Amino acid sequence: MSIFFRKFIIAATGLFLCIFLIVHLSANSLLLLPEASARGLYNAYSTTLRENPLITAVSYLLYLSIIFHVIYAAIITIKNRKSKGTGYRVNHKQENSTWASQNMGFLGVFILLFIVVHLVNFWARVKLGIGESVGLDVDGNTDVYEITYTLFHNIYYVLFYILLMIPLGFHLHHGLKSAFKTLGFYHKKGLRVLAKISLVYAFVMSIGFGVIPLIVYFK
Amino acid sequence: MKVTFKIWRQDSPDSKGELKTYETDGLTEDMSFLEALDHLNEKLVLKNEKVVAFEYDCREGICGQCGVFINGRAHGPHDHMTTCQLHMRSFKDGDTITVEPWQAGAFPIVKDLVVDRTAFDRIVEQGAYITAKTGTAPEANSIPVPKEVSDAAMDMAACIGCGACVATCKNASAALFTSAKINHLNKLPQGKAEQHTRLLDMTKQMEVEGFGSCTFTAACEVECPAEISISSIAEMNARYVKAKIFG
Ligand code: HEM
Ligand code: SF4
Ligand code: FES
Repeated sequence: MSIFFRKFIIAATGLFLCIFLIVHLSANSLLLLPEASARGLYNAYSTTLRENPLITAVSYLLYLSIIFHVIYAAIITIKNRKSKGTGYRVNHKQENSTWASQNMGFLGVFILLFIVVHLVNFWARVKLGIGESVGLDVDGNTDVYEITYTLFHNIYYVLFYILLMIPLGFHLHHGLKSAFKTLGFYHKKGLRVLAKISLVYAFVMSIGFGVIPLIVYFK
Repeated sequence: MKVTFKIWRQDSPDSKGELKTYETDGLTEDMSFLEALDHLNEKLVLKNEKVVAFEYDCREGICGQCGVFINGRAHGPHDHMTTCQLHMRSFKDGDTITVEPWQAGAFPIVKDLVVDRTAFDRIVEQGAYITAKTGTAPEANSIPVPKEVSDAAMDMAACIGCGACVATCKNASAALFTSAKINHLNKLPQGKAEQHTRLLDMTKQMEVEGFGSCTFTAACEVECPAEISISSIAEMNARYVKAKIFG
């Protein structure tokens, strides 16, 4: 399999995950509403999604994307390290490139850790029924809001969910613009605009996801 | 001017190298970096020590022979500059200057600061030319080339094959070099007939030689003396998709 193919997979799955994050953050901003309206709306939304076959199909695509992204990222990180040889005694990389671009794999490991914990917290309980069972709200919908509420009244989880958004932000800042170049977008002015969009995107995603646990904590 | 050189010394490809320290006096700010190394070597000859092996030819930034890693940067502290164009005025009296050979699996060290860059030649052999026998220089106006196209092709042709892009890349990727060579010809009408095979063969060779893949850190475009932009790599990627579909 060629050098290009592996990178195309990482870029395509990465972009798909980037789109997913937008949808996920939009929905999660319901959690910022006052308790009374947030619980009903959030649970109704989450039930609708779970019952929609199209969404179920997309969710399988999502799992596959994460798996392929991680596998190919691991493969190319190892291969690239082999290409590099012994390395320099003195190397001032920070003078010609960003730290995030030099450490995508390292940042990815933190994101993977986050994804695993996050799935155990929510997905395993709601979808797989593993762990503490989940109750129903007054409308008879699975009370996902309650999971969020209890989870984010534990200060350790709140800190974990906030801090792990930092590596995500760095990964996205480099990843978004890089993915477009990998897939062959080479318009020079367009790339300058893209660099700005990536910065804004990374900020909105990491701050957006990071602020939700904090606000729920103080509810 | 007085500086302390820390220079990578390695007798042969298989021997173990190390950084050796040389106190050097009597340099001037107007000396080029290579002249400073010449100066050091003259002193070493007088002391009956082995001189430091380093490569150069033109000493004016066009042959691409002189690349070394200086104080943690390919071709030294400035962006877009070859080692031969670097002058001692870029350093301060009393500075310590670390000089290392390019490090990449595909560029094995030959001796001291000299590495074997023939992997680049083998990529070029895979199609960085057109196979038609052109004879003597043809009439310049017989194939019209739009100004923007010829300018863009010239920008790519500016690559001098110095290897700084590989040397500075965390993946030792040759994507910048290879993309410059491919885009140069694939943009021009003369190169169009073989554009897909050229692209597939040259990129294949890039992989065979053991160069890594591109993460777009953009370190290469900062160090490239010819100012080839990483958008050239993105363009190669686009052409790769095109070649796979139509090639
Ligand atoms: C929300 C989750 C994630 C998103 C949205 C995401 C997004 C991206 C994007 C868009 C790219 C750019 C692809 C390119 O350069 O062409 C990328 C690259 C990368 N990702 Fe992720 N990623 C995520 C999770 C992960 C995880 C969990 C890992 C590893 C454990 C990882 C490892 C990598 C690596 C190593 C690269 C760089 C590949 C290279 O060297 O070019 N990512 N990611
Ligand atoms: S692309 Fe630039 S850095 Fe790379 S070999 Fe050509 S001139 Fe040197
Ligand atoms: S010696 Fe020719 S480019 Fe430096």
